[in-house]
Amino acid sequence: MATLTRQDLNFGQVVADILCEFLEVAIHLILYVREVYPSGIFQKRKKYNVPVQMSCHPELNQYIQDTLHCIKPLIEKNEAEKVVVVIMDKEHHPVERFVFEISQPPLLSISSETLLSHVEQLLRAVILKISVCDAVLDTNPPGCTFTVLVHTRETATRNMEKVQVIKDFPWIVADEQEVHMEEAKLIPLKTMTSDILKMQLYVEEKTQKT
Amino acid sequence: MDMDMDMDDLYLDNIDEFVNDQNKIVTYKWLSLTLGVHVNTAKQMLYHYLEQKRRESSGTPLHATYLVSGKFVENGSTCHKVSVVREDKLDAVKAKMDVTISVHVYSVQRAELKDSSPLYSTDYDAVKENLKNCSKYSAIRCAAAVPMASVELQKAQEVALVPPVEKEINKPRLNENTSATSKPSTKQPTGIMGMFASKNASKSQESSKEVKTEQKDDSSLVETSKTKPASKANPMSNFFGKPAQKKVDEKPNKSIKEETDGDSAASTTASVKLSQPSPKSEFAIKEERSKVSSALKAESKDTRNKSKRPEVVDSDDEKMDNQQKKRRRIKKPQPDSSDDEVVPDSPPVPTKQIPSPKKQVKREPVSHQESSEVKRRKRRRVLKSHTFVDEDGSFVTEKGYVSESYSESEEEPEPKSQAKDSSSLKQSFGKREEEKKEKSQKKTSASNKSTKQPSIMGFFQKK
Repeated sequence: MATLTRQDLNFGQVVADILCEFLEVAIHLILYVREVYPSGIFQKRKKYNVPVQMSCHPELNQYIQDTLHCIKPLIEKNEAEKVVVVIMDKEHHPVERFVFEISQPPLLSISSETLLSHVEQLLRAVILKISVCDAVLDTNPPGCTFTVLVHTRETATRNMEKVQVIKDFPWIVADEQEVHMEEAKLIPLKTMTSDILKMQLYVEEKTQKT
Repeated sequence: MDMDMDMDDLYLDNIDEFVNDQNKIVTYKWLSLTLGVHVNTAKQMLYHYLEQKRRESSGTPLHATYLVSGKFVENGSTCHKVSVVREDKLDAVKAKMDVTISVHVYSVQRAELKDSSPLYSTDYDAVKENLKNCSKYSAIRCAAAVPMASVELQKAQEVALVPPVEKEINKPRLNENTSATSKPSTKQPTGIMGMFASKNASKSQESSKEVKTEQKDDSSLVETSKTKPASKANPMSNFFGKPAQKKVDEKPNKSIKEETDGDSAASTTASVKLSQPSPKSEFAIKEERSKVSSALKAESKDTRNKSKRPEVVDSDDEKMDNQQKKRRRIKKPQPDSSDDEVVPDSPPVPTKQIPSPKKQVKREPVSHQESSEVKRRKRRRVLKSHTFVDEDGSFVTEKGYVSESYSESEEEPEPKSQAKDSSSLKQSFGKREEEKKEKSQKKTSASNKSTKQPSIMGFFQKK
């Protein structure tokens, strides 16, 4: 494989593609495992050579895809710091926040031939960890909804507000209450480090959920 | 079994660390590979650990899954069923079996698993790392299961490109199909097929016929051919004995749609399965095999469901009687097996082409048989998903297997009756969260599409 460096836009796109694909699978899996939606809408699909649960609901899928489509440019430019999947109860108070902390090494190069399969293996491990996270988390109250937040570095969001990446899919600044959770427990789930990507997944969980 | 060496308390601490501290799913297979012990030892270890923890009844609750195998009567026919069940369903499943042959702990974990996917994921990497000797600790042995030398393998693959004597076809085809799995154990068909082909193709018509039928088993994906393994497998299964029938994996929670396709009572498949260490890796192999969608994936679950199917055996025999010495059996690649090396187009040959459905859902009725008499005709089952809004305003997604028939040369599209298996999910739009799952089977009129779908197996080849 050729040696690509950060300067190659191609490379940034590769990483962004991998990450967005992964986030899509992860979000579906979180929705399945945390029972945000009934398990009937999920079907088994294959990703990274293992079975994963993805939803069949077209609107839900479209929403998730649009969300990630907007996040992708941020990741390409390495401006996204965290992607957070927030699960909220009926009163829109967050009960759980799945935080994906992402960072990309500044000077990257793909030099190893087995890099992608190594990354695949790491992502597989993260998926597996999400599948068993219900062992360490309390049950959510019924009727939860979810939303996706992005924390960016510096002022990248100003651009996002100006330019709508997808029509009629605006991003708005998140409410303070969605961003911060009181009485939160921090439960680390998985850390992965690879040449092209570093990711940490942890869950902030509200101590008293109901 | 004397396992005193293994059964000291260290292993209990190990397992405790894996399960409680690291929140891992500990399957017996993963444990055996990690600790370097025989699988039976691993099973015992898990059992003891579970017992100890349950006795203490302190700390976090543990969940376990079990592997149950036994004789099962379904629709009047007996089959051997092997399934992984959750603990809460264990007694129910055991009660349903006529004879329970074996029950052992499959995995221990803290999380209550909603579906079986993590069980597979857990073993995946462990097996992948130990690919060359993943059966080192296995309890299943087959003397003939030796990996081919690479020279031999290459030769065999080259030979496959030329319409050769059938003996050689057996080897490379099986090897091609299984080589995607890159598991040494699956290359052993040479040994076994070698026994049958026995070095000269002009051996008695019997054996070559057997080989042929077997081969047909492999190459055909029609349900009709399922009877052949049932009948022809008798000499084979005698050879292998009981275990040949055994290897059927079933995950009880959700139906694993395509991945269970490898269950075949064909003895070659059985022989392939025989050398596999455990149902789990067989599942892995089935996964791989279903990707390649090889001829081995002849039947989906007939070992479990040997209900009557239309006999095609007679016609097969007939055809074979007509064959002369130099049989030109060209393997028709299945639409989704992307072995590029295999010659897709063959010169007109009297061999018949057995149509091949691609994938089968478990609940599919056997009754929709396509005729297998037509030459060079293929059928493919394509999963089509159709989402629409019904009169209530709720989304309905129907997933149906539509059997598309197309012929290689696109000459004679034939109308055949098709069966459509559809599972429809009713999804509410908005806040209503009820849905129902229905599975219905209908026969629809045939569609005469003769367009070839591009094969997606090209992706998997690259690996």
